[in-house]
Amino acid sequence: MKASDEELVALVVATRDNDAFGELVRRHQGLIRGMMARMSRNRALAEDLAQDAFIRAFEKIGSFTGAGSFKSWLCRIAYNEFLMAARKRKATERAMEKFKGDVDDTEAPRDMGSVVDLDRALATLKEDERTVIVLCFSCGMSHSEAAETTGMPLGTVKSHVNRGREKLKAFFETAEAVA
Amino acid sequence: MTMNDAFDERLRAAFAAAQPGEDEADAFVKKVKARMSHPVRRRAIILGGAGSTGSAIAGTQLEGLFNTFQIPAEGWTAQLAAIASPEVMATTVLALMIGGFAFILPKRI
Repeated sequence: MKASDEELVALVVATRDNDAFGELVRRHQGLIRGMMARMSRNRALAEDLAQDAFIRAFEKIGSFTGAGSFKSWLCRIAYNEFLMAARKRKATERAMEKFKGDVDDTEAPRDMGSVVDLDRALATLKEDERTVIVLCFSCGMSHSEAAETTGMPLGTVKSHVNRGREKLKAFFETAEAVA
Repeated sequence: MTMNDAFDERLRAAFAAAQPGEDEADAFVKKVKARMSHPVRRRAIILGGAGSTGSAIAGTQLEGLFNTFQIPAEGWTAQLAAIASPEVMATTVLALMIGGFAFILPKRI
C-alpha cells in the first residue's frame, strides 16, 4: 500500500530518510515546477526555484504540523522561495523580461489546453492577480489559504481571483472566437 | 453547474495539463536528492570562515579579560587558579571554539 504524504513526512522527520523525501518530491514535483513556471514565466528559472523550494522544505520539514495538507504547506514554501528570489535579485526580473520573448506572440492562440496559451493568458494579469490565480487554481488553495500565504487581506484575494478569472475568461473567449 | 464553475474546472484542468510530465520526474528527483546530500558548500565555507575569524579575534582578547578577574581562592580552587593562568584559559576557550567549528563544518559541507 502506498504511504500517505503525512506518513512519509513523519518518516523524514524521524530518520531524515532521503528516499522517503525523494518520494514526496516525485509526487509533488509536477505541481511545484508548474507553479514556478507559471509564476516566473521562465522555465529555466522555474526549475531552479522548484529545486530550492524542495531543499527548503527538506530543511524545514520539522515545522510541518499536519494542520493543513502537505501540498498546501509545500506550495507556501515554494511561494516564499519565489518571493525571496524575486526580491533578492533584480537581475532575475531583467532575465524574466528577456525570457518573456520565449512565448511567441505572433502565433494565434488556440485553446486553454496549450501551455503557451495559458502562459500568454496569465501574462495579461497583474502580478498579484497572477499569483493568487496560480495559488488557487494550480495549487488548489482556498481563498483563505491564499490570503494566509501571500499576506493579502481575504477580500483583496477574492477580488484578485474574480478579476483575474474574468480577464482569463475574456482572453480565452476571444481566442476561441478567432480560431 | 454555473458558467463560472464550468470555467473554473477548465482553468484547473489547464493548469494540471501545463504541469511538467512524469517522464522528467526521475531526473528532477535525482537533482534534488543530490543537493540534499551536499548542502550549499559556499555558504557553509563563508559562514565557517567568518565564525573562525571572529573566534580567533575574540580569543586574542580573552587573555586581557581573564587578567582583570581577581577571584579570592583557597584550597583546591587556589591550586586550580595557579594552573589556569589567563593564557591557559584563553587558549582553552579558543580551542573549544575552533573545535566546535571543526565539528560542525564537515556536517554542513
